[in-house]
Amino acid sequence: VEAHAREAQDGAMSTTYIRLLAALLLVTLTACAPLATSSVTPVTEQSRTGGILRVGQNASDLGTLDPHFASGTQDRALVDMVYNGLLRFKPGDTTSFEPDLAAALPVATTDAAGHQVWTFNLRHGVMCQPSEGVQSYELTSDDVVYSLQKAASKDTSAYASDYAGMTFGAPQPYTVTVTLDQPLSQALFFPRVANYSGGYIICKRAAEALGPDGLKTHPVGTGPFTFQSYSPKDKVDLVANSAYFRGQPQLDGVEYRYIADLNTRELGLRTGQLDVIAGQADDHWVGQIHSDPNLDVDVFGVGEVSTVFFNTSKPPFDKIQVRQAVVNALSRDEFQALFGSLVAQKVYSPVPEPFMAGGLTEADLAARKIDTSFDTNKARALLKDAGLENGFAFSVVTSEMPAYRVLYESMQAQLARVGIKMDVKVVDHAAMHDQIRKDVNPVVIYNAFRPSADAYLTQFFHSDAIVVSGKAPNTNFAHYDKVDEEIDGARHESDANRQEALWKQAQTKALQDVVAYPILYQDQVYARSRIVDYGHDLMSMIQLYPGIDERTRFRQ
Amino acid sequence: MTLLGYTARRIVLTIPVFVGVVTIIFLVVRVLPGDPAQVALGDYASQAAVENLRARLGLDAPLPVQYLTFLAGLARGDLGHSLINGASVRDQIAYNLPFTVELSIAALALGVASGIPLGILAATRRNGSPDVVVRVLSLAVLSLPAFYVGILLVVVFGVWLRWLPAIGGGNLGSPADQLLYLALPALTLGLLMMASVLRVTRSAVLNTLDADYVRTGRAKGIRERGVIFVHALRPALLPIVSLTGVWAVALVGDSVTTEVVFARPGLGKLLVGAMLQRDYTSVQSVMVVYTAFVVAINLLTDVVYGVVDPRIRSGYA
Repeated sequence: VEAHAREAQDGAMSTTYIRLLAALLLVTLTACAPLATSSVTPVTEQSRTGGILRVGQNASDLGTLDPHFASGTQDRALVDMVYNGLLRFKPGDTTSFEPDLAAALPVATTDAAGHQVWTFNLRHGVMCQPSEGVQSYELTSDDVVYSLQKAASKDTSAYASDYAGMTFGAPQPYTVTVTLDQPLSQALFFPRVANYSGGYIICKRAAEALGPDGLKTHPVGTGPFTFQSYSPKDKVDLVANSAYFRGQPQLDGVEYRYIADLNTRELGLRTGQLDVIAGQADDHWVGQIHSDPNLDVDVFGVGEVSTVFFNTSKPPFDKIQVRQAVVNALSRDEFQALFGSLVAQKVYSPVPEPFMAGGLTEADLAARKIDTSFDTNKARALLKDAGLENGFAFSVVTSEMPAYRVLYESMQAQLARVGIKMDVKVVDHAAMHDQIRKDVNPVVIYNAFRPSADAYLTQFFHSDAIVVSGKAPNTNFAHYDKVDEEIDGARHESDANRQEALWKQAQTKALQDVVAYPILYQDQVYARSRIVDYGHDLMSMIQLYPGIDERTRFRQ
Repeated sequence: MTLLGYTARRIVLTIPVFVGVVTIIFLVVRVLPGDPAQVALGDYASQAAVENLRARLGLDAPLPVQYLTFLAGLARGDLGHSLINGASVRDQIAYNLPFTVELSIAALALGVASGIPLGILAATRRNGSPDVVVRVLSLAVLSLPAFYVGILLVVVFGVWLRWLPAIGGGNLGSPADQLLYLALPALTLGLLMMASVLRVTRSAVLNTLDADYVRTGRAKGIRERGVIFVHALRPALLPIVSLTGVWAVALVGDSVTTEVVFARPGLGKLLVGAMLQRDYTSVQSVMVVYTAFVVAINLLTDVVYGVVDPRIRSGYA
């Protein structure tokens, strides 16, 4: 009887516990539900004016918001919303320019000393945003000259070399002159004074008040959005700049969140907590997002070009037959299939032909008898000629980032077919950059976008840029030194046609010498709620994000 | 030994542990490949610009000099500035720490508050259906990593039901908002904590339920509830306290992945981000805070041991 009584008591106790716990859980979740409805449910197909655009960026934190140091996409995007250039790339189309802080596009003249001079007339009434201790004030030529001088100094800018040989003047409050020691064509000069890298104009008084470190986390410009706050490793909040010279922005502000994990960003978008996210260059992923009726994906340029560079100073890649054999063993189609034809396009020269002058097409290569065909028999024959009929082995390091890793892994599999064994060691992204700049890899696959053919060729093919041993080591992984004359000549060629011809000539030589094998370019992929309207068509954005400006809005 | 003396002795013993761990952290961070200056400037920057930045950041100074500078800063309570963006590391920690603390406390409370009763229930209903259900469920939860549990919860409560926010930490100025954003991460870690506490409680209570003094208590007619909570549970508390201490430390570690999965601010997200950026100053400072956390939890556990079982204090006499 006692045992039964105890059992009954235990049973009652267990029932009580279970009920208590279940009730607690239910009460907690139910209590949360109405709160969630009000604060989480996001963007629905309802009428909306203003609103905060919530963006999820693929980054763990900001790097620096000083525009003259900003280099990561996560930083360039924010900088672009806060600052202006004298000119700007047409929103959504990097192939053309339009005036920004300048009232009109400038025309080059020559001064008495024979120097090329570009004169900018500034818009009136452009207001610098207010910042700590500095009231809003009108931007004048003093600010512009201060900013350009900062961009030209290696102590205060990572892009100083772009402004070497330039002198900046402010003859009038609304007039700025740029005098060049060596003339530049419009194609090379305009990007330097547009809304990119050193071309962003900072406000002098704010910059002086904040100091160089202050600017890194507190940008102050003249753009459509004003910096409001920075929450470390979490987000940056921007508010609309009501005094913006193109008019009050449609949005009330932008909440820019750092979310490095793609799955988390996607969940945020699907649950409506985010309106725009950085996506993945992968057809399958694009298809998944498209299948959601509330979401859309934008695939746009500019594409980051993936190119294979052969280190011509390291055997056996010092032999042209070996390099040619590797090229013939590789298939662009196979590389493209890794990402899909929606997001990756084949490319035939290091300078991407669709985005800028100076690139080569497949037909151009055929006309110049440059052989990049996929032909494993030819590859084997070339290896035999080089005395390597049994193949050979080499090792490389790659980044853990899929955009790099899958390319190396595919190359590894393709080369194995002709008896070349490529060991691939995966390291983290920063370590890969560190290692390849120390000349560790005999073969480097590099993904990059550069704003002009000159930048591409100077950094990847000029002898000054040879890694480790160059005068100004950069990313010439091939140790190539045969096209300096063409690159230098093109830089100071003012005739656009002759300039383009020199760029093509340089690449023709490099490709004929088989020091590089351009594979493909990967487009930018961003997903968004369907009610987000960027306010412009999206063909290409040099800042590698969709472009958020005064016209960006939520659709009614 | 008095409790005060025992506690003081434990505190003194934590000092060499703390200094040792801090030194290891300093060295490990510098062994990592990758150049913070290159990361900060990006791949577009020239070598000259990178070297210029390295010099400005003091990264070209000899290692002993960097170490002494670090220790001197630590002694002054100065955690330094981010190598990447110049932001004060103390400010970064001050912003992120409350999120991690509230997550850890909520998960700990949830785990203990549900794990102990369920463990007692399973023990008192040994081999009965509640026992089997509870054991199977706890085993299932323990078999899953925290990030996976988190994703499952997000899919159910965030995507399907849309009851709770899936990402973020909520508005710091609104307690209701904070609670809402805390629910899923706390449930993720709380479930793991609950499963462990439950299993240890069940085992410990089962051991004491068979003890002579419990049988004597029952024979004397003490009500079953009194037998369990007074006679069986109290002696079982020592392993539970011990496990809670261990799991509190593990929770701090699991909070790293949980914060990343939920894109929730916190020390974990701060640490992962700083490591990806090769931000030495931030990494070592956050690790120092983590170390302080772990040392403090262990210290607290030791002190609670001394309270629960005074015999332990006598060992220090």
